[in-house]
Amino acid sequence: MTNSDKYNVNFFRPMSDHARANRKLVLTLAIIWAVGVFGFQFALMLLNEPTPEKSYTTFESVWPAVVEDASATIEMKQDFSRVLLSVLGKNIAVKDHHKAILKEALSWAVYSMQADTLKNVFQKELDEKSIQTAVQSIGLTSTGMDRIMIDLVRFSLQKVENDQISAESKAALPDIMELYLVHNQNIFTKARFLGFPFHYWYTAQFLLIMFVFLCLTYAVVTDKMNKRFDFVEEA
Amino acid sequence: MKLINKVLYTCLFFLIDSSVAMAQSATTLEDTFKIGPAIILILLLVTFIMVGILNRAKDTSTYWAAGRKISPIGAGMAIASNWMSAASFLGMAAIMYGSGYHGLSYVVGWTGGYVLLLILMAGQIRRYGKYTAADFIGDRYYSQGLRAFGAGLAIFISFSYCVGQFAGIGLMFKWILGINYTWAVIIGASVVLTYTLISGMLGVTKNMQIQYVIIIISFIIPLFILCYKFGYFFFLPQVGYGSVISDIVSGIAPGKGISALGKEFGIMPSPEFAMPWDPATGQTAFQWVAICFSLMIGTAGLPHVIQRFYVVPRAHDARWSVVWGLFFICILYWSAPVYSAFGKILSASPEGGKLAKDAIVVYTAQLGDVYPLIVGFLAAGAVSAAFSTVSGLLVAGASAFSHDLYYRVINPDASEKTQMLMARVGTILMAAGVAIVALMNLGLIAQLVAVAFSLAGCTIFPLFLLGIWWSGSNRAGAWGGLIAGSSVSAIALIYFIAGKFGVTLPANAFFNYYLNAWYFAIFGAPVAIFTNIVVSLISKEKTPFKVVKFLAEKVHNYKVT
Repeated sequence: MTNSDKYNVNFFRPMSDHARANRKLVLTLAIIWAVGVFGFQFALMLLNEPTPEKSYTTFESVWPAVVEDASATIEMKQDFSRVLLSVLGKNIAVKDHHKAILKEALSWAVYSMQADTLKNVFQKELDEKSIQTAVQSIGLTSTGMDRIMIDLVRFSLQKVENDQISAESKAALPDIMELYLVHNQNIFTKARFLGFPFHYWYTAQFLLIMFVFLCLTYAVVTDKMNKRFDFVEEA
Repeated sequence: MKLINKVLYTCLFFLIDSSVAMAQSATTLEDTFKIGPAIILILLLVTFIMVGILNRAKDTSTYWAAGRKISPIGAGMAIASNWMSAASFLGMAAIMYGSGYHGLSYVVGWTGGYVLLLILMAGQIRRYGKYTAADFIGDRYYSQGLRAFGAGLAIFISFSYCVGQFAGIGLMFKWILGINYTWAVIIGASVVLTYTLISGMLGVTKNMQIQYVIIIISFIIPLFILCYKFGYFFFLPQVGYGSVISDIVSGIAPGKGISALGKEFGIMPSPEFAMPWDPATGQTAFQWVAICFSLMIGTAGLPHVIQRFYVVPRAHDARWSVVWGLFFICILYWSAPVYSAFGKILSASPEGGKLAKDAIVVYTAQLGDVYPLIVGFLAAGAVSAAFSTVSGLLVAGASAFSHDLYYRVINPDASEKTQMLMARVGTILMAAGVAIVALMNLGLIAQLVAVAFSLAGCTIFPLFLLGIWWSGSNRAGAWGGLIAGSSVSAIALIYFIAGKFGVTLPANAFFNYYLNAWYFAIFGAPVAIFTNIVVSLISKEKTPFKVVKFLAEKVHNYKVT
């Protein structure tokens, strides 16, 4: 080995005891860091299972009858309307063109529940009375989640143009429902810690605590290491 | 004395009067002049400028490195303030508000990068002892060309980072002054430019410590109020909001309190807000990992972040300043998701209409019927966050222009006075350019800032990583890696810009997904590092002995006998 080779710096081939100790420290912390951040996310990916909301199960049970119309009872249409409102209630999460389809389907469902003499009310610009009629048709009360749904009816109901739900909406609705009502869940998302879903707490809070702890460890150990190896850092 | 009393009473009258006026028009979220917040903002800016004048730069070394007189805790606060930009203050909550769990990739990416920065670089950079990132690149790779390229990159990265900040400043000025976005950006840009020109970096560093305190207080106070008001554990909102998240997942029946819109606090079940990579958000696990990774390595390559290590006296202080800095940063990062959670519920009513995601922090406080002056203080805090970062970025960009390009490459005989002049000219040009791009509304604040991180991750990070840890990395390798990283960056940016102008390029969907402008460093950085290593190995050039010896002895404590 020439004299100049002795000066070669290579993280993986440290030339001094100090460098070897530093490599060990850096690798240890880097592994904890990588496993802590990405290992957990990979675990979530592996464990994730598509899990439907209750509304989705309701949708699946009433949708065939609602599409065929003739076999759908009023209760089924009420359930169908509630499912549509539960998706519209997700507000910012729902894309605008999906909102348009959901609103059309809701308006049609309300319309189809009306007696023939009342149907024309929903074929023109809607007023407060028609909104109240719609709320009653869906069977919404002024308790619990229904209060949110009543608000949503007011902003979602629109004039009905056709007696039938459009072919485009018919084709799109099952996918829209699946998109918004089926979620990735697993043991970590169902468990609770400090009120959080565990995975959320781990990522939003624990990882940050871990980062501070890793940095603190590095600073303390490096100071000790510098003393041990008699390394005076110049000012 | 009488005059001072008169002024104080007048201010107090305006503040009280404005808060009453705002309470009466709580449904108007924007487009009205808000005098209380405006006075708070002006008072803050005057304070910053006064501190800047009292500590103004007298020569170039003071301008660039603040005289190396800062303690680790002070430097930590400056790091935190410099770091906590409009992207942290406004952008993170905006991303989480819109994309739920996906937004946490920004929280983790923007904090986890400090671990990399510390264990791989901070102390070593300080021991290397240069003023700027380009200085290090030029000396370590013994190339004036690389120094110039590095300076150009530093300017470009600082520029793109600034765009998101100016957008944030514009949004807050728009909210406070009730003017349109264009004028808000122009006024905001003028104020921040004036402030940076007057104060220089010593003023900036002192101000950063004050700004940190203002940022963190203004950000956290509304959270206590929101948690208290809506019946959650308010002693520690960062813990209390856990139940808010769980409630969003299962739904909240109205009845917990009334918002400023007169609506009861409630939401339909919304698991998509918290569940990982929910299909409804349109974001995938790959994108989460890619953003997180890109932000992390970008953190360790950002010139204005690296530059903070030159303002501490010793490498020991550089390390401890990162520890303190990260802790101070995390206080805000633990808190930001609280705004997105309350924002999600408070804006759930369709009556609220569509809100600008990037202003959701302020809207949330407003919708939660927080006292208007506190909301004003929050908005002023957002402006402070953007100001502290922008001034640091403008100084970093001006340093690269004046010191690395003009003095070290173009005119080595330039006097101190000429260099100062060039630094100021560089600052003005950069601020004007950034303001123009900010007016184009290219994306959300956090996303715009993420571009700068990917750029840094693809170009500067590999040069520092290999430059510090492998003496075999030579000039040819550096050029190879830089060209590879820059090429990947260029491809990603071309596809992004083409998309913005409605042009569809070949394999558009592929590139927009795998080489997206927000996270192209996921591929760009490994490609740049690999190319640097391969070219260094196959080129016959040896790193000069002087450089290798310096690296071994001064940076890595080798004692060759």
